[in-house]
Amino acid sequence: MFMYQKKLQYPVRIKNPNPALAKAIITQYGGPDGELGASLRYLSQRFSMPYPELKGLLTDIGTEELGHLEMIGAIVHQLTRNMTIEQIKDGGFADYFVDHTAGVYATAASGAPFNAACFAVKGDVIADLSEDMAAEQKARVTYDNILRLSDDPDVSDVIRFLREREIVHYQRFGEALRLASEKLDQKNIYAINPAFDR
Amino acid sequence: MDTNNTECTYKQGSLPGCSALGLAVTPAQASSQPAYESGEALSRGTLFPGLDLPFMNIVNKMPASTTPLRELMALDFVCNELALYLDTHADDTEAFETYQSMLKLYEEGRNTYASKYGPMQRSDMAYAPNFNWLNEPWPWDYVKEG
Repeated sequence: MFMYQKKLQYPVRIKNPNPALAKAIITQYGGPDGELGASLRYLSQRFSMPYPELKGLLTDIGTEELGHLEMIGAIVHQLTRNMTIEQIKDGGFADYFVDHTAGVYATAASGAPFNAACFAVKGDVIADLSEDMAAEQKARVTYDNILRLSDDPDVSDVIRFLREREIVHYQRFGEALRLASEKLDQKNIYAINPAFDR
Repeated sequence: MDTNNTECTYKQGSLPGCSALGLAVTPAQASSQPAYESGEALSRGTLFPGLDLPFMNIVNKMPASTTPLRELMALDFVCNELALYLDTHADDTEAFETYQSMLKLYEEGRNTYASKYGPMQRSDMAYAPNFNWLNEPWPWDYVKEG
């Protein structure tokens, strides 16, 4: 089960509203490489994992990603608080505003709502861990792109923290893939799927 | 573990010799050292200088002054980072000892914090004067500096 800690993983303190930036950053809430998809990908994949280090790593990273989802929600919330209608119009935020006001909704920057098709659970050790490594890279690039767009140092500070976490997670998934491969038949690592063939 | 490069720096890791074809291989981080101090680790987003690879080489500045909450976040962050490291390095006894000492610091810090500012988790209310779970602010609320 999960227990809530009443704090963020990293401080989010954004002085000025900026709906245009919020509209880009919301993609890490509900977009294809966002934190919601990341968390659900890892927390779902762990059920079929055969080795304890894989169960542990997917649990721990999936849990951390839930904390990142909360941080992204906090950024969007703070960027959209006390907005004027002029700021909403000028920031290109009217189409989000008309559907969600200043609520935080799981959507991609393009406006496509969150879709479970953006994360994969294949039920195969090598396929799922390779997926996870690619997912961390895609999230890292999304944060690179947000850093290119951000003109607010309060926002960039938090984004740099989240981006660095993707690199650490990539390393851990890479190590996990290697640990798993060492347990397989060294003459043919693809002979079986250890998540299914016992 | 069969490795073909044992003299790695902290920015590098060991690779197995004669690896199987047809699979991506990631160098294994050799050690939980060197490591940043907890406040710097939080600012950087990692405990490990070897994994600290910032975009455009721009890094977060440490804040001029810290707060009790930020210090607690830093301790918890180091605990989390070491837990992920231990998930793939369960036999690293030195890292586990560091992890245990950081957990103790976090537990102490959280108890002190909770008695002054309110609960961080609901079990912190065992000796609370009232149901202060509802105290403002909540984590996503904007709070002015200081």
